[in-house]
Amino acid sequence: MTDPPPAPPGSPLRLTGFGRLLRNELWKLFGKKRTYIGFVMFLLAQNLIALVFKLTRASAPMQRMLESAGHVAEAYLSVLTIATIMLVPVAAFLLPLYVALVGGDLVAKEAEDGTLRMILSRPVSRARLLAVKWVAGAIFGASLCTALGLFGLLFARLYFPWGGLFVWLPEQNIFGVYDAAGGLGRYLAAHAMLVTEAVSIMGLAFLFSCFNVKPAAATILGLSVVFVSFILEHIPYFADYRDWFLTYHLHLWQFMFAERIPWWRVGQSLSLLLGFNATFFAVGLAVFHVRDIKS
Amino acid sequence: MTAPALPESPSEPLIELRGLTKRFGARLALDTLDLTVGRGEIFGLLGHNGAGKSTAIGLMLGQVWPTAGTARICGHDVHRHRRRALARVGALFETPAFYDYLSGWRNLEIFTQYTAVVPAARLREVVDWVGLSPRIHSRVRTYSHGMRARLALAQALLPRPELLILDEPADGLDPEGIHELRQTLLRLRAELGLTLLLSSHLLSEVEQLCTRIAVLRQGRKVFEGTLADVRRTANWVRLVTRDFATAAARLHAAGLILRDRDGAWVQPAPGVEPDELVRRLVAWNFPLYEIAREQQSLEAFYLALMRPDARTIPAPADLPAHP
Repeated sequence: MTDPPPAPPGSPLRLTGFGRLLRNELWKLFGKKRTYIGFVMFLLAQNLIALVFKLTRASAPMQRMLESAGHVAEAYLSVLTIATIMLVPVAAFLLPLYVALVGGDLVAKEAEDGTLRMILSRPVSRARLLAVKWVAGAIFGASLCTALGLFGLLFARLYFPWGGLFVWLPEQNIFGVYDAAGGLGRYLAAHAMLVTEAVSIMGLAFLFSCFNVKPAAATILGLSVVFVSFILEHIPYFADYRDWFLTYHLHLWQFMFAERIPWWRVGQSLSLLLGFNATFFAVGLAVFHVRDIKS
Repeated sequence: MTAPALPESPSEPLIELRGLTKRFGARLALDTLDLTVGRGEIFGLLGHNGAGKSTAIGLMLGQVWPTAGTARICGHDVHRHRRRALARVGALFETPAFYDYLSGWRNLEIFTQYTAVVPAARLREVVDWVGLSPRIHSRVRTYSHGMRARLALAQALLPRPELLILDEPADGLDPEGIHELRQTLLRLRAELGLTLLLSSHLLSEVEQLCTRIAVLRQGRKVFEGTLADVRRTANWVRLVTRDFATAAARLHAAGLILRDRDGAWVQPAPGVEPDELVRRLVAWNFPLYEIAREQQSLEAFYLALMRPDARTIPAPADLPAHP
């Protein structure tokens, strides 16, 4: 077989084979309406939270806490503080749901629709196909985290002034007060680290997607593992074994708000998440490789 | 469209299956299938639903792993060297699936680039060829069944296959669609020299298209040969003479026929060829106006093979020579 011809003259971008497949995968992923459910729900949830803070006295306990610590509460009842408050529940509940939804779809939906059979009549290796899909899923996870951060700032700005950041995360013993510039840096760093959570949960659902199951089953299985890990992590008697639980390492974005960031702990969790993700991908690939793809 | 580049070794078969066996748990889906399809053939794979046709095609495309045996496509083991084996293969399935929310054009780009980069000019050429140009930038969900079939054909023809594998391609098409598909496949072979393997249970289609067929029953190949071989499996001979009853009685008495029917047909005894009947009748001074083998229809042949009591496996080598 002859080599593929070069890109036509004037082509704006010369993509490699993997790059072209990745671009196609992103067309598929972002061409579907259901891919945007997460973005829309973030938009609604963040607006709702910001409005509740604006229209009620929900911020009163926070003001008391700041004043008792010797700060001027008004300076910290700001865009960054509200955006960070919105971030916590969304990162805990909504983000895992939507990345698992997409991760569970990546292979299983194509198998269900019949397009996987069409793809696998082409000379593409299963490993390459999975690698492209995983990277597309990771890009989706990163874009969802980016949207989460941007929407948070945008909607909080509609109702609150710019100012310093106050953050209180009792579970991690974090009580931080930062000026606007420092707070923004922490906020951005937290979102960058949040990508590891998004990608890991996507990778877990992706693993189940490689089995011969329906897309919804892959999503539910992925989320079930996350919930079971969360339950185990919160049983006090298992405190000595928390390192083994996936969810324990998914919280590392919260450390970006600590006064002194525990980089050793961040590094440890990052390396373990890398191991978790490599394992998810390897198991998924092994399962997918031996599968018979039938109509 | 331009014809594909000349093959490196024209004599090499494009499909070569050896002892191909597939089990799904306890169920034997395909039993030691041997099959060879040469360049330029239109080969038909026949069988009831569940006979193993789709499993065989899945094995040829490397989508299904064999329990035993090998599948060589375009000279390469498809399960070991998938990229080389499938580089010049196009496939078409009974219910072609697309990304309905994308345009036909985008679908073609996506599927084709799993094989190679295809210039836009080549895409346009194929889209024109299948007659889909006016709607190629519409979303596939707005396409009719026939348009989807044409889009499926376009993706199979991209980039430049030498071999097309078609799994029940006429399923769900109306008579006009079936006629159009048949003409298209014949054009592909005539204009581009493509080799085609198609599975079907539409016997009339296979009869009009294929140069050679194989019949599968419960995962086993029960026949492989040309349509001429099929026609020659009939064991009745039409005999037109002045006094058929007397001629038949004498042939019967001589042990040359087993029985006769309808005042025109005789069934030769095993090993007796029509030329022997001619010699005897002429020797007995019977005026002989016509003698011809019955032309077995593919349908009758196929149904005979599918009977539960059908045990014989006629192979071309066992069939009598052409008269």
